[in-house]
Amino acid sequence: MGEKHDGSGFYQEYEVFSKKSDKAPLQHQFSLLAPNEDMALSIAQENFMRRENVVDVWVVPRSNIRSMTSEERKQWTKRLDNKDYRTTKGYGYLRKKWRDKEQDMLDEKEILSWKEVKKG
Amino acid sequence: MYNFVEHGGKVTENTANEDPILYEQFMARIEAGEKIEADDWMPEEYRQTLIKLISMHGISEIMGALPEKEWTPKAPTLKRKLGIMAKVQDEMGHGQLLLRVSEDLLKPYGKQREDLMQDLLKGDLKFHNVFHMATKTWADAGVVGWLVDGAAIISQTNMLDASYGPYQRALQRICAEEVFHAQHGEAIIMALAEGTEEQRNMLQDAVNRWWPALLMFFGPGSASTTGSSKQEVTTKYKIRKSSNEELRQAFLDKYLPRVFSLGLSVPDDTLYYNEGEKRWVYQQPDWNEFKQIIGNNGPRSKERLRLREIAYENNRWVRQALAPYPAYS
Amino acid sequence: MTNIESADQAKQDSSYREVLTELLYQLADDDFIVSFRGSEWLGLAPHIEEDVSFSSITQNTMGHAVLYYQLLEELGEGEADVLAHERPPEKRRNAIYLEKQNGDGSYLDEPYYDWALTVIRQYLYETFKKVKLEALTKSSYVPLADAAQKVLMEQTYHLAHWKTWVRQLQDSTEEAKTRLQSRLKEAWGEFLDVLELGPKANDMEKHQLIVAESVLQKKWLEEIKETLAVIPAEPLQKNKGSGRNTEHTQDLTQALVTLSEVYDQDKNAVW
Repeated sequence: MGEKHDGSGFYQEYEVFSKKSDKAPLQHQFSLLAPNEDMALSIAQENFMRRENVVDVWVVPRSNIRSMTSEERKQWTKRLDNKDYRTTKGYGYLRKKWRDKEQDMLDEKEILSWKEVKKG
Repeated sequence: MYNFVEHGGKVTENTANEDPILYEQFMARIEAGEKIEADDWMPEEYRQTLIKLISMHGISEIMGALPEKEWTPKAPTLKRKLGIMAKVQDEMGHGQLLLRVSEDLLKPYGKQREDLMQDLLKGDLKFHNVFHMATKTWADAGVVGWLVDGAAIISQTNMLDASYGPYQRALQRICAEEVFHAQHGEAIIMALAEGTEEQRNMLQDAVNRWWPALLMFFGPGSASTTGSSKQEVTTKYKIRKSSNEELRQAFLDKYLPRVFSLGLSVPDDTLYYNEGEKRWVYQQPDWNEFKQIIGNNGPRSKERLRLREIAYENNRWVRQALAPYPAYS
Repeated sequence: MTNIESADQAKQDSSYREVLTELLYQLADDDFIVSFRGSEWLGLAPHIEEDVSFSSITQNTMGHAVLYYQLLEELGEGEADVLAHERPPEKRRNAIYLEKQNGDGSYLDEPYYDWALTVIRQYLYETFKKVKLEALTKSSYVPLADAAQKVLMEQTYHLAHWKTWVRQLQDSTEEAKTRLQSRLKEAWGEFLDVLELGPKANDMEKHQLIVAESVLQKKWLEEIKETLAVIPAEPLQKNKGSGRNTEHTQDLTQALVTLSEVYDQDKNAVW
């Protein structure tokens, strides 16, 4: 039976992800061995999240994940530190300008507080 | 949770054949505090050391579930039954985490879970000395949870900054759970220490019987004791920070005052604290016995291996049935 | 019939209280013995990841037994730990099939435990437990209805887990099919005991503590037919006797000796 008939094919690798709450992003937990995805899902929560809240669990066969290789991690994750234009850091001078015009800066804190607007 | 790295075996210590440039880059990475991942280049000596250390650590968790498991269905109250079940379950869970780390390191050799189990049953993969010992009474379940886990916490927290990323991440999870284990063990022994005379005697008897195994836990102080020592290799590669003896002293520092505060003693008349040297002076355990124990000739080695063997063989049909490759029929 | 809101209120009607305690003992003893058998498996399951999951199910199940023992405690039956550890076989109401040992040998020595027995037993039991719990959420005894609601919350996972095992094994190798079939046949000869509510069944219905046995059994049968590939043709039986009638086997004696070994060393000590 070529591929071992000793049952070693039982051990397939799955990566396990979970969400702590509706607002939380999916987080990688760990990996486990299981014979198929239904069984992997059935054991994932009790293996890695016995003591924490869970609202969702994903299991993914490791072979379906295209991750960076060791080389790619080294080469693709480095950047020059010259991208202030992409962040608020590059626009800090506006604060003083607006202050001169007696206006407040619409910064991150201010904008993210705009969940509600006046009714009617 | 348990590891010492002294038991010898077939680690190929050969850095001479490594590419010197890659080796230098690798050492620079770990010196800079970077974490090494499973698919990164690593010296063969590093991989071999990790495989030995983590396989043994993982399989010790699996074997370590068995001594306490003996008392799990027997635990004296509903609360204790639940607590010890959760604790032994964690041991199996720690074994799972660690064996996964080890299995990824073994990939280049085409080995997997099945091979680790077989190595254990053949006697090629050793497990920690403490798990070869008998658990005679309920107090042993308490002492294992309190002092054996205490020793384990000392040795594992020492590796929380380990240079190998997957191991370091597994240890973070494990150490977080160990805090519960420590308190679980303390709760059992506290009830006995504050209980009837018979309960106190039971506890003292357990401490007396476990004392030599606890001293052995961290491994011999130097290579000269048992003829081989891997501790220098693990510190060189920033896997752990301290020596066996430093860890043993840390354990004695933290736990002996607690043992004495409960009115308990340890079976060593010569034990004292040397104020000048800031260290405990104790009677050495019998290191020849230690070698016997980890060579699977301890008091309960054969029986525990037999349990694993039965569980493994007896459930083979289940694994065959669900193996995605249609089993022979 | 109006709802009974508390233990104090239940105690005022001796006939109601008697029937209620009978039902609670059945519920508690069933979950307790099932979780005891589960605790013997710890460390011996077919693979490590399953061991960890199975243990959670076992712990949850023992937690459910504790809830029922606590309800009995409130009704004046004695402390939960005493009820769990001290009652002799002739006071136990668990079904006989549930006390059956996990296989040959003991957990300490040569444990030739049978995963097929465990899968079949857990599946059949958890399926019935769900049917029963759903009925209990409408019980006239409000503390029990509340407990049932809580237990259902986590029990659904247990059932799904064992259903996965049954579905996969019965659809795999010849050996697995044969093993499952033989354990199912064995269960069929004994499981009627699990499905029964014992000598006070009619009073339980009368007091609206739970619906009639026949209703529960019918629902259970419908449920398992959806999962099991083959259902034995013979009628269900209880050929080992009736645990609801406090009849038991040596297997229960073994379980009680083990689970109370330390407790019995000093019943008055604090452990």
